[in-house]
Amino acid sequence: MAGELDPARKTTLRRELEGLLGKGAVLSEPDELLVYESDGLTLFRALADFVVFPTSASEVSAVVKLANRESLPFVARGAGTGLSGGCLPAEGGVVISLMRMNRVLEVDYDNQIAVVEPGLVNLHLSWAVGPKGFYYAPDPSSQQACTVGGNIANNSGGPHTLKYGVTVNHVLGLEVVLPDGEIMWLGGRTRESQGYDMAGLFVGSEGTFGIATKIIVRILKQPQAVKTVLAVFDRIEQASEAVSAVIARGLIPAAMEMIDQTTIVAVEDAFGCGFPRDAAAALLIELDGLQHGMEAQAERVMAACRDCGAREVRAARDEAERQLLWKGRKSAFGAYGRISPAYMVMDGVIPRTRLPQVLTRVNEIAAAHGLRVGNVFHAGDGNLHPNILYDPRIPGEEARVVAAGGEILKVCAEVGGSISGEHGIGLEKMDYMPLIFSEADLAFMRQLYQAFNPRGLCNPGKIFPSRKACGEGGIAYRPHPLEEKGLAQRF
Amino acid sequence: MAHETLTARPAAPLTLHGHDVEGVHRCVHCGLCLPYCPTFSLLGTEMDSPRGRIFLVKSLAEGRIALGDATVSHLDLCLGCRACETVCPSGVPYGQLIEAARAEVERQRPGGPLRRLFRWMNFALLLPHPKLLGLAAAGLRFYQASGLQRLARATGLLKLLPAPLADWEPLLPTLPPPAERMPLPELTHAEGERRARVGMLTGCIQQVAFGSQNRATTRVLAKNGCEVVAPRAQTCCGALHAHAGEHDLAVGLAKRTIEAFEAAKVGVVIVNTSGCGAHMKAYGTLLSGDPAWRERAAAFASTVRDLAEFLATEPLRGPLGPVNRTVTYHDPCHIVHGQKISRQPRALLAQIPGLKLVPLREADWCCGSAGTYNLTQPEMAHRLQERKVGHIRETGAEAVVTANPGCIIQIAQGLEAVGAKVKVLHIAEVLDEAYRNAK
Amino acid sequence: MPAPLVDTLRGIVGAPHVLTGADGAPYIVDGRTPDAVVLPGTKEEVAAVLGAAAESSVPVLAWGGGTSMSVGAPPPRLGVVLVLRRLNKLLEHEPGDLTATAEAGITMAALQGELGKRGQWLSLDPAQAEKATLGGVLSSNAAGPRRHLYGTCRDQLIGLTVITAAGATVKGGGKVVKNVAGYDLPKLFVGAFGTLGVIVEATVKLRPLPDQDRLVIARFGSLKEAGVAARTLMASDLLPSAIDLLDGEALHALGHGDSQGAALLMGVDGIPEQVDWQCAEVERFLRPQGLAEVRVLDGAERDGAWRARSGLGHGAVPDTAAVMRWTVLPAQVAEVMEQGAAVAQRAGLHAALAAHAGVGVVEAVLAAGGRTNAAALAGVLAEWRALVRAAGGQALIESAPLAAKEQVPVWDDPGPSLRVMQRIKSQLDPNGLLNPGRFVGGI
Repeated sequence: MAGELDPARKTTLRRELEGLLGKGAVLSEPDELLVYESDGLTLFRALADFVVFPTSASEVSAVVKLANRESLPFVARGAGTGLSGGCLPAEGGVVISLMRMNRVLEVDYDNQIAVVEPGLVNLHLSWAVGPKGFYYAPDPSSQQACTVGGNIANNSGGPHTLKYGVTVNHVLGLEVVLPDGEIMWLGGRTRESQGYDMAGLFVGSEGTFGIATKIIVRILKQPQAVKTVLAVFDRIEQASEAVSAVIARGLIPAAMEMIDQTTIVAVEDAFGCGFPRDAAAALLIELDGLQHGMEAQAERVMAACRDCGAREVRAARDEAERQLLWKGRKSAFGAYGRISPAYMVMDGVIPRTRLPQVLTRVNEIAAAHGLRVGNVFHAGDGNLHPNILYDPRIPGEEARVVAAGGEILKVCAEVGGSISGEHGIGLEKMDYMPLIFSEADLAFMRQLYQAFNPRGLCNPGKIFPSRKACGEGGIAYRPHPLEEKGLAQRF
Repeated sequence: MAHETLTARPAAPLTLHGHDVEGVHRCVHCGLCLPYCPTFSLLGTEMDSPRGRIFLVKSLAEGRIALGDATVSHLDLCLGCRACETVCPSGVPYGQLIEAARAEVERQRPGGPLRRLFRWMNFALLLPHPKLLGLAAAGLRFYQASGLQRLARATGLLKLLPAPLADWEPLLPTLPPPAERMPLPELTHAEGERRARVGMLTGCIQQVAFGSQNRATTRVLAKNGCEVVAPRAQTCCGALHAHAGEHDLAVGLAKRTIEAFEAAKVGVVIVNTSGCGAHMKAYGTLLSGDPAWRERAAAFASTVRDLAEFLATEPLRGPLGPVNRTVTYHDPCHIVHGQKISRQPRALLAQIPGLKLVPLREADWCCGSAGTYNLTQPEMAHRLQERKVGHIRETGAEAVVTANPGCIIQIAQGLEAVGAKVKVLHIAEVLDEAYRNAK
Repeated sequence: MPAPLVDTLRGIVGAPHVLTGADGAPYIVDGRTPDAVVLPGTKEEVAAVLGAAAESSVPVLAWGGGTSMSVGAPPPRLGVVLVLRRLNKLLEHEPGDLTATAEAGITMAALQGELGKRGQWLSLDPAQAEKATLGGVLSSNAAGPRRHLYGTCRDQLIGLTVITAAGATVKGGGKVVKNVAGYDLPKLFVGAFGTLGVIVEATVKLRPLPDQDRLVIARFGSLKEAGVAARTLMASDLLPSAIDLLDGEALHALGHGDSQGAALLMGVDGIPEQVDWQCAEVERFLRPQGLAEVRVLDGAERDGAWRARSGLGHGAVPDTAAVMRWTVLPAQVAEVMEQGAAVAQRAGLHAALAAHAGVGVVEAVLAAGGRTNAAALAGVLAEWRALVRAAGGQALIESAPLAAKEQVPVWDDPGPSLRVMQRIKSQLDPNGLLNPGRFVGGI
């Protein structure tokens, strides 16, 4: 735990770390460690003993070996934009910041491959290969700030996953530093690797299987044409049906995003994007691909929306109009921030066809807890983001938000969905894992954990529910922090 | 236990020794600001990012940390460019927060006698008093025109100076002869049909080092139907003071500025320097704590316009002659981020026949000047300067156009240091040239 | 194999579904006859069978349609062959969600048939769809030409139910297309050849069936020209669903004429406007690249041609002796194919090669005219591996006579990553009972 290191030992270790990485690459003063106590989710805080800034795989390896020698836990951190507490130093130890390993190492346009360092900002990769007409497809909404390494940890998605998949569908190989410090390649440059798909397994392992230090990804040719359609509906059911109707007409749009009435009103209040305030839902559908035939595809989409009773259907005629149509969706977060002192972004996944039913439940749950909620829905893949609006200054409000969040996740699980579509389990949702996984399922995952991380030093305290049996599977018992504060109950 | 959750906050707005920092609560910690912050992009450390600095300010205000060396250094490294404000989805008023922090740093650490003397000389003596500034300028002019500067530089005499002074010497702008340092006429008539009666801020350093740009500004405004009033009673607007944490001096200067322009009875006050324009537009916030001045300051602030902002509201009056040059445009931070103006200067340049405008990579990245930042944080300023100069050279443009004396000095010095023959021009000068070429 | 175990097995699945002795002949692998062949009818029975085998320390080999059984080192011993054929139902199909859950023993053809009734398909087109089962396809990571646009098993699989070595039922992933809760079990099992557990159910992502689907066959004078054409096609804005490159021998084997030249087989699917345009555009695009002839096939002709193509490695080439799969970078495909053909020729043997040019996967079929000289065969296989490794790729022997397999390793040397694979294996199958000794590194 942080603070358990005695000062003399800490000073010695600091000097050793500086010897390995250089003087400006080690932080250990409390005032400087403070800003590393949270990621994008401020509900949780945890102080590290050290934050270090390696610049190469061998430096990462040296730090990990030192941590092993000292039995110090360690965790990798990218931009810290995660929303589940995944990069928190839950039990003290060392935070290994990858922000100084941020280069594009190589681009092979002929074979449509790029090799990058983990600290590279996601969008910067697309910028780097943009001039030659390529881009990197996984585009989480935080792509302007989040890093490719962080995307690997969380198997990040974004609005385009329906057509293009998630991060793992674009990863070919990884150089990783394993939890014992060994540097190893998983996968490679080619499309197939013999043996177990360990690169595939590593993606989404939330930093518990090691630290990726080089990432080989596929880059795609930018689509020839992009077309955006906006449809506004009077009832959520209609919007949901429209999504199915589009697919039934043989189309897989590149993106389908939905915002609900609370969000529409927030966006109109904050930015005035031209949505009718009494609309129940707005659906943004984006097609991409060949220029030829794009109009025909757009026509099919619009027809599908009209057939489902859309009150208004608009297609962008040029790039400027397209940006305007998207503005409403993209301003949602900012709008919430302006109409509410705080909001908590939830992340559940449900079968698309269950959306109307789930949304009703979500709104009921929020109301029952005296809260407002604005929903953003990646309609293409069923990823629902209820944004619970609240005021942290009101006593007890935060506890109600957490409780409401838990109930929402239960609903997602009940309809056959999952408790995380993009943000990962991290700290935030670990105790909800039993909602969707049996003991046998979790035991299996613990076995994988044992295979990679037998000493449990690599990002401990994440993913798995806190267990009552001490030492079993290498993960010690620890009451969930929210439980300790009386803000949550175990079920 | 290593974990904690946030506790309920008290109802009173959060302040840092009297300065309102309630804005920290708007930050939802999303981190979207990080890659747009030049210091974070170069250093990679969270404390040198807007999110980190907001967190430090919040922790200071909440009494969670004391103002230690490390914290001061991270706050000092902030450029104050406010690029973060442009991308923040939650509308955190970062500029206001960092100024509050600076004021607190100054209050707790005024520094040794030499530092305090230096600051008093600059902020209390020279900048607010045009005549004294003029005297100092005359001295500098002598140093430069007499060959002393050349001698000092050539013989390495400068190395004998204490460290900061040696670094600053190259940044001294080459002052023009006295004729060009004369104050602007108080009244310049409009040419053709009078469209408006505008006030003009002549600035402190601007007037002394770049008087020609002020005159060009006046001429361009006149050509566009403006009667230009440059009240003699005006003074330094106090922007540099506010950015450097000299809060009380800044308040005093704001009041004098407001009074001077009120007396001039103009509808709009034009500013051709970025930091001043942004600061004056925020006079309402600066003086919000004074009930006697609150509304007066807010009313004044609403009349302040950046030069390009003003001119771009209508098509430029002709005739404009050709300026056959390839140029690129650098957005001064306090215009693009502080005032959200980036389309207008480019729209103006687009109206000049023969002028080819090529885009500049990271055009809205700070050049490292950041007020007095290049004096106080030379290393970071230098890295940013190099980056900016590199991008400018990549464009192949013959000139870089901008709208701020600090940027002009910083960029010019950077270009000269690498032997690049790229001119650095104020947008007013380019417009003025176009008008002159029409004859 | 202890008699009590056979009795136990009979007790679990019913006597008619346990085969011993000569009845197990269809399930011989590399000359080894299984001790017993079991055909469970439910996943509970599968679990019970595995539990029983575990108790008796008898190895278990899961068997779908048997279409990839040749892939692997010869088994040291063949204990129980667990045939999944009876678990062949489509359990759920949600067209609005584009997901379906099926039992592992359903054949790909039957699955696609069911899905097709609602206008959807699973975008995987491996060979021998009438025999290959969903579980087997996943376990062997089998794929076909349309992997070019639609990806492989890793990209379609979203949920899995497996029975572990100890007989426990474990689920991973889920029924939704986007899911990051917990570790990605499904990914681990793709291509694991049944060494970590037996897949009993799988949930997959679906696509709507395209309005139209055509096959464009473009012939070129030489492999080199066709290879360049493939690369320029890859770099263009066109979006074919498949770009397969066939050399002369392969063309000849598939009945497309003599063994001169080479051809590109391209899939073009989508809405009619786009299919028409792309077919015309492909032709226009390839003309300056040395296009000799172009044919566009539709309907049954198209299906037949694709089926023949996927049969290349399954007996289409007369006297097929061995088949290798090479994975290289797309830009290297044509060159490596040429070199491979030359190596075979020098050894007095025949080779027919075809590649999924856009993803860099080459199928190399080695034919021995007349006598099968084991040494020559092994020599070519070894040289092929060396050639592919030198290009930075990987080479896998998909099928070969036992004698050749005993001389040339089936799998490449995995290098240091083997240690991690072994740790995974030892966690999940500590007693080494699931398809032991046949996988990478002897796992």
